Amino acid sequence: MSILEFRRSEPFTVGVELELQIVNRRDFDLSASAADLLPLVEKQLQSGEVKPEITQSMLEIATSVHRVHADMLAELRGLRDLVARQAERLNLGIAGGGAHPFQRWTDRRIFATPRFHHLSELYGYLAKQFTVFGQHIHIGCDSGDRAIGLIHAMSRYIPHFIVLSASSPFLQGVDTAFESARLNSVNAFPLSGHLPPVRNWAEFEAYFDSMRELKVVSSMKDFYWDIRPKPEYGTVEVRVCDTPLTVERAAALAAFGQALARCLLDSGTPRVDPDAYRVYGYNRFLACRFGLDAELIDFERREKVDLREDLLDTLRLARRFASDTSGAEALDKLAHDVQQNESDSAWLRETHRRTGSLSDVVRGQCQVWQSGRRALEP
Amino acid sequence: MTSLDFLPSFPLVPGDLALIGAILAIGLLSGELFRRLLRLPRISGYLLVGIALGPGALDLLDRDLLAAARVVLDVALGLILYELGSRLDLGWVRRNRWLLVTSVAESALSFALVYLALRWLAVSPLHAAVAAAIAMSSSPSVLLLVIHDERAEGALTEQALNLTALNNIFAVVTVTMLLAYMHLEYQAGVHIMLLHPVYLLLGSLAVGYAAAALTVLFAGWLGKREDLQFVMLVSMVLLAVGSALALRVSVLLTLLAFGVLARNRDRRRVLLPVEFGPAAQFFFVALFVLTGAYLEWKDLRLVGGAALVYVMARVAGKLLGILVFAPLTGLRLRKAALLGVVLAPMAAVAVVLVQTTTEIYPAFGAELGGIVLSAVVVLALAGPIAAQVAFRLAGETRQEAVR
Repeated sequence: MSILEFRRSEPFTVGVELELQIVNRRDFDLSASAADLLPLVEKQLQSGEVKPEITQSMLEIATSVHRVHADMLAELRGLRDLVARQAERLNLGIAGGGAHPFQRWTDRRIFATPRFHHLSELYGYLAKQFTVFGQHIHIGCDSGDRAIGLIHAMSRYIPHFIVLSASSPFLQGVDTAFESARLNSVNAFPLSGHLPPVRNWAEFEAYFDSMRELKVVSSMKDFYWDIRPKPEYGTVEVRVCDTPLTVERAAALAAFGQALARCLLDSGTPRVDPDAYRVYGYNRFLACRFGLDAELIDFERREKVDLREDLLDTLRLARRFASDTSGAEALDKLAHDVQQNESDSAWLRETHRRTGSLSDVVRGQCQVWQSGRRALEP
Repeated sequence: MTSLDFLPSFPLVPGDLALIGAILAIGLLSGELFRRLLRLPRISGYLLVGIALGPGALDLLDRDLLAAARVVLDVALGLILYELGSRLDLGWVRRNRWLLVTSVAESALSFALVYLALRWLAVSPLHAAVAAAIAMSSSPSVLLLVIHDERAEGALTEQALNLTALNNIFAVVTVTMLLAYMHLEYQAGVHIMLLHPVYLLLGSLAVGYAAAALTVLFAGWLGKREDLQFVMLVSMVLLAVGSALALRVSVLLTLLAFGVLARNRDRRRVLLPVEFGPAAQFFFVALFVLTGAYLEWKDLRLVGGAALVYVMARVAGKLLGILVFAPLTGLRLRKAALLGVVLAPMAAVAVVLVQTTTEIYPAFGAELGGIVLSAVVVLALAGPIAAQVAFRLAGETRQEAVR
C-alpha cells in the first residue's frame, strides 16, 4: 500500500514560496539571524507563512493559495513589508537573488532542527554550499494523473523559468559567467534532476514505493527534482527559479506558471514522450549559462531555437490564459523586459561594474527588494 | 681593529624592545595554554601573565618598562576603540528608538546603583561619582576579542557592540564632566574648572572629526582595496592617538569619535569595514598583558567587600536596564539576560580612565584606583569567561568551525 495519496486541489490555483537572504547592514554578508528574526515576524503574521530553512541566514516566506495575480502580488508585498519592518528592528537587511555573491559557505551555520542536522550530516559540505535561494511555484491540480502530465509538459519550459528568474551570477566572490549559478549547487545532490518518465500517478506511486523499499528515499522531500509533484498539497511544484530581486517579479513568475499550465492542459492531459528528456539536461545548462542568449535544442523540431524568441512566443501564448488583467500586465512586463534584455542578473553585473564592490551589490539588492525597482541609491 | 669589540659585552642587558617582545611572546603562549588546557578564553591567560610579570609581582615588567610600552597600549586601545566606534550604527539607533532607551537605562542604572552602593560604604560623593561613571563602560576589548574568537554573530552580538560603544561614550563624557568637580574640590580655580572639561570634550571631538574626515576622503581616493585601506587606517589611528596625546585631550573619546564619525559620515560608502585580521591578535595580546600589568597583585589582594559591592551593583544595574528595555528592541528575554552578562567585563578602558585622573590629581587617582581597580580585576578575569559562555548559550557562535 503506497503512502502517496494525491490530495486534489482546485486546478490552476497558485502558491509561492520564496527563500530570502538575511544580511547584516555593515558589510552585507549573510547573517545567521533567522532564529532572532523568525519569532518577531511570526507574532505579526496576518496571512501566509514564514519558515526557517536549512541555514541560519535564510528565511522562507510562503503565500496562501491564490486564484488571481492581483491577490498574490498584494500578499507578497504585505509579507515583504512585514519582514522588512521586523528585520529593521534587528538592523538586518533582506535581499532577493538566487545566491549571496560573496558569502563563504564554510561560515554558514545550520538551523538547529533534527531534519536539518540529518541533512548536514548526510551531505557534508553540500548542505552548506546549498546556501542558495530559490522560488518555488505551486500549481493546483485536480488529479495525480493530470499532475504527472503537467510536469512532463512543463519540462520543455524549464529553461524559460530559469532565464526569467536568473539572479545568481556571482558565487563565493567571483563572477561565474553563469546567469544562474544557483542551479549548479542543486545539481550536486544525488537525487536532483527530473521526474522519471512515468505515464500516470499509479506508475509514479510504484516508482516511489520501489525507491522507498530500496531505502534510497524516505519521503518526497528527498527528491530534489526541478519539478516535482507535491501530493499532500495536490500541486505541481516548479523549483528551478532563483528568488528574483523583487516580489513583483516573483508574482509575475507565478502568473506565468499558472497561465502556462492552463495553456498546456487546455487540450487535455498531455502525452508523455520519454525521449524528450534527452535534451533536458543540456538545455537546462544552456539557459543557466547563457540566459536569454541561449540557443536551445528543440526536441520535436530537431533544430536549434533562439530561447529569447521562443520565450516571447510562449509569453504571448500564455497571456491568453492569464488569471486576470493584472496577471496579463505582469506577463506583458516580462515580455518587455525580455525584449529590452533587462534581467536581474544583468542588473547585478552592471551594479558590480559600477561600484566595484560585491558588498555594494548586496546593499543594492536590499534596496531593490524593498522598492520593487532595479536602482541603487548611495 | 684589535680586540673583539664587535661582540656585545657580558652580561647581556636586554633592551626595552627585547623585553617587551619576550613578554608578549610569553603572553601569547600562556593564552594558548589557557585555551588548550583549561578551555578558558585566552584573555584570562594574557591578563594573568601581565599580573604575574607586572610591578606587583615578579617585576619583570617594571614601571619603567610599562612606561616604555605605554605607546603600544595606546595604539592597541586606539585600534580597538576605532573598531568599536565604527560598529555603532547611528542610523539603527535612530530607527529603533528602544535601543537608545535600553542604552541610557543600562548606563544610568549602573551609574546610580554603583553610586548609591559606594555612598552606603561611606565613600566620598566625588569618588563615588567618578567610580560610578567608570562603571557605566563595558570592556570593548574583551567584547571584540570574544566576538573574533567565537566568530559570533546575531542579534545579541549586534546589540552588545552598539550598547558597548554607547556606554563607553557615556562613561568617558561623564568622567570628563566630573573633572569640573574634581577641580572644584582641589580649589583649582573657576576658569580651570570650566575650561578643562570643555577643552577635553571639544578637543577630542575635533581631532576625531578631522581624522574621520581625512580617512573618508583618502579611502574614497584609494578605492575599495582592503590592503591599502588597512594600512591607511592603522596610520590614521596612530596619527589620531598621537595628536590626542600631543594636544592632551582624551585618547579614548578621540578614537571613539573617530570610529563613529568615520562609519556614519561615510555617505558614499567608500570605507571598507575594519578587518585587522592577524594584526588584531597582536594588539589584543599586547593590550591584555599590559592591562594585567597595570592591575598588580595588590589590587587582587584588595578584592574585598567594597570591590564585590561595586561589581554586584554594576552588574545589577546593567541587567535591570537591559531586562526591562531590550525585549522592546526585538530581543528575546533569554537573549536579553545573556546580553546583560556580555556587558559585564571591564578592562583596559577602566584602567585608562583611572590613570587619567591619577595624572591630574595623583592622590585622588590613587584612592579611586583602590576602589575601581580591584573590581576591574574581578571583572577582567571572570568577565571574558562569562561573556564566552553567554555567547555560546545564545547560540551566536560557530562551534563547528574548524580551527
